[in-house]
Amino acid sequence: MGAHSRGNTLDFLKVANDLLPDGASYDACVGCGICASGCPASGLFGMDPRRFINMAMLGMNEELSTTPWVWACTQCKRCAYLCPMGIDVSQLVGAARGAWATEDKPKGIVRSCAAQKLDESTSAMGLMSEDFVEIVEETLEELHENQPRFADLKVPIDKKGAKFVINQNSREPAVEPEEMAPLWKILDYVGADWTYSSKGWAAENFCMFTGDLDAWKEMVETRVDAMNALESEIWINTECGHSFFTIWQGIEKFGLKANFEAESLVTYYAQWIREGKLPVNSDWNKDNLKFTVQDPCQLVRKSIGDRAADDLRFVVKKLVGEENFIDMQPCRSANYCCGGGGGFLQAGMANERRAYGKRKFDQVIATEADYVLTPCHNCHSQIEDVGEHYGGAYTVTHLWTLICLSLGLLGPDERKYLGPELADVNLPEED
Amino acid sequence: MKRGTRKIETQLAIIGTGIAGFAASIFAGQRGLEVAQFGHSGAMAYTTGYLDLLGVHDQRLQQNPWDALDALRQDEPRHPMSGLSNATIRAAIDGFTDAISDMGIGYTKAGDHNLSGLLPNGLAKPTLSVPDTMRPGITALETGAKTLVVDFEGLQGFSAKAFEVNFRDRWPELSSARLTFPGMENRQVFPEVLARSLETSATQQALAELIRPLLNGVEYVGLPAILGMHMPDEIRARMEEAIGVRLFEVPTIPPAVPGIRLRETFERALPEKGVQLEPQLKVAEVDFRPTGATLHLHGPMEDLEVEASAVLLATGRFLSGGLKSDQDSLSETLLDLPIRQPQDRDAWFRQDYLDPRGHPVNRLGVEVDGRFQPVGADGAPVHERLFAAGAILAHQDWVRQRCGAGLAIATAHAATEAAAAVLG
Repeated sequence: MGAHSRGNTLDFLKVANDLLPDGASYDACVGCGICASGCPASGLFGMDPRRFINMAMLGMNEELSTTPWVWACTQCKRCAYLCPMGIDVSQLVGAARGAWATEDKPKGIVRSCAAQKLDESTSAMGLMSEDFVEIVEETLEELHENQPRFADLKVPIDKKGAKFVINQNSREPAVEPEEMAPLWKILDYVGADWTYSSKGWAAENFCMFTGDLDAWKEMVETRVDAMNALESEIWINTECGHSFFTIWQGIEKFGLKANFEAESLVTYYAQWIREGKLPVNSDWNKDNLKFTVQDPCQLVRKSIGDRAADDLRFVVKKLVGEENFIDMQPCRSANYCCGGGGGFLQAGMANERRAYGKRKFDQVIATEADYVLTPCHNCHSQIEDVGEHYGGAYTVTHLWTLICLSLGLLGPDERKYLGPELADVNLPEED
Repeated sequence: MKRGTRKIETQLAIIGTGIAGFAASIFAGQRGLEVAQFGHSGAMAYTTGYLDLLGVHDQRLQQNPWDALDALRQDEPRHPMSGLSNATIRAAIDGFTDAISDMGIGYTKAGDHNLSGLLPNGLAKPTLSVPDTMRPGITALETGAKTLVVDFEGLQGFSAKAFEVNFRDRWPELSSARLTFPGMENRQVFPEVLARSLETSATQQALAELIRPLLNGVEYVGLPAILGMHMPDEIRARMEEAIGVRLFEVPTIPPAVPGIRLRETFERALPEKGVQLEPQLKVAEVDFRPTGATLHLHGPMEDLEVEASAVLLATGRFLSGGLKSDQDSLSETLLDLPIRQPQDRDAWFRQDYLDPRGHPVNRLGVEVDGRFQPVGADGAPVHERLFAAGAILAHQDWVRQRCGAGLAIATAHAATEAAAAVLG
């Protein structure tokens, strides 16, 4: 992808001034470079956050409107977190993305957004509403047959008035439906009154990543309308990062009316453990396998803050044993983006994405952990990919896998994200 | 969807996340106070990592900061450190260096004299306490030991050749070399990037292998401050073992690793000690009442309301946002505290930019009484439960006086003590 001029050339200084957050000032940039120093995308395509701001101040609008770097910046907001002046380059990057001609944008991101518009399901993998319902029903049937202990487990769809409505990343129903079962088992175990929605169920929003605000708004509207219609008190976002940010931020940004509260599944895992409803423990971890955890930027730094990071650590320590948990550094709100966010995984820039991800790889390797837990699908894919690419010997897994493992509920077919050492640990007795 | 409000209660709310704010958090915690601390990335990433107490007085470098403090009390009685005894200041600094050493960043204990801290451009400056990773370099300079200083292709912020050339007269046995950092070929890199990479043992070994053939009988090897971010002393020990000679770090220009180390260490360790820390949120408003104050903060998703029995303001000066200026006047940004200042902006500056006496504007700031309570024109405290510490205070010029850390730590200690006395 090279420089082009088919899109709009933005006046970045004007955009910057329009986007100015309270108390922040773009012309207050002292050029210290703390943003560039702490940004894993620095140096890719010859650009970094400081250079981006400097060029905006100098009116180099043509260059900024055409640099492919805007697709390598994951909009993780670490620069804004570090900047004493609160300068947020990610918003300028969002505007720059939006100004690109559609045909020049990374095709993977554009295609995923287009897929989301096909149907009210809003699935980036193009899974239609009726297909989703059918896959859920079939997967549930198989679960009933193969794991008789769960013969009564229910997966409500469009159950009006359920306390929780939960979204679902398309990857599971589309590619690995058996991976939905651990989440269902957890919800069943705690006796949650929950439902899926057949509309707007998908937990991804590539339209936000295209920089197309209208498309982002359309996705959020479809979802909010669906959730409002179900009259659920709480919308729980599954183990995913950006799908959380895109909803609450979209509701705020576009002034939508939502009759529900937005919460993260991690918050509820923690709450259910504290309440004794989810009595997980680390007895299964007899070999003292070591675990670290990735803080999804979209969930922690960009949304809930360190409270989400605290809940995440509480859950993980209960699951693996406090002594077997090793934090990567830096962590919590200061953690690095893995390089899987912002659509980078789908942008067709594997070399740059892996160069970005080297920072995450080093962080993980420094912990010497055997496992990385990632409550986000993009983090999961990216950390797994850079592990394979750079030769790391760690395994990447979801929280729901470990929760069910700990409770003795994890079936043999639900272990594809566990290493061989856990293939037979704590198998359900009756299966 | 309603924007939620999270409420927390605390005894002492500390506003600011620079050295003064974090020092106050440490001291208040040691005193058993409940602490909540708020702020946004401040100027800490710009430090060399050295803790200066008083490096310049009467326009001269000072080798003995304690004697210099005695002179300061005579010459500048309104300087914020002048009201504190040497014993009090020493106790504060010891408390701080012990605490950060416990948290994982070893610091030298304050001595009776200043050390000659090495600077990236091949100069030295008087400073009280330095990170343990930097201490051997000071000995190397003092003894004129045969030393190799190394830098890296593409590294921003440190030139080994400049370091060598500027030190040549004082340190003839000093030589320099340039290496390509493992895995960082053909690119510009910040010291932070190298430090993160050196957290892994593979990079430590690879770098040691590159350095070993260059030794040629040297006793010491100096590197820019890149020896890892979170356990620099351990990484230095490992690298020393792999290389076989003493190793030391030289600070680099900002943004530099030693400051990032401090910030990340505080962010990690203080919540473990029970501090309710929000290092990403600025306080937007404070409402005072006779028995305390309510602080209002706005997070991305929710608002935060803090009920505090006392407030300690450590928001720094212009760079950190504690003070601001317009064409006519200087003001304090959060509480609009009174700033005693000349009528006319012309009186802010002397004619000559590099005038060694400094500029009057640098000594403007928040006026406090002997209990570090901000006071109004009448000399009475603005609020009974408000205290202030650090660079925001008036009557000091920490940059020229080389007293930044000393000022921050000593006044944070005193302000915390005063707040504790009020809190009972």
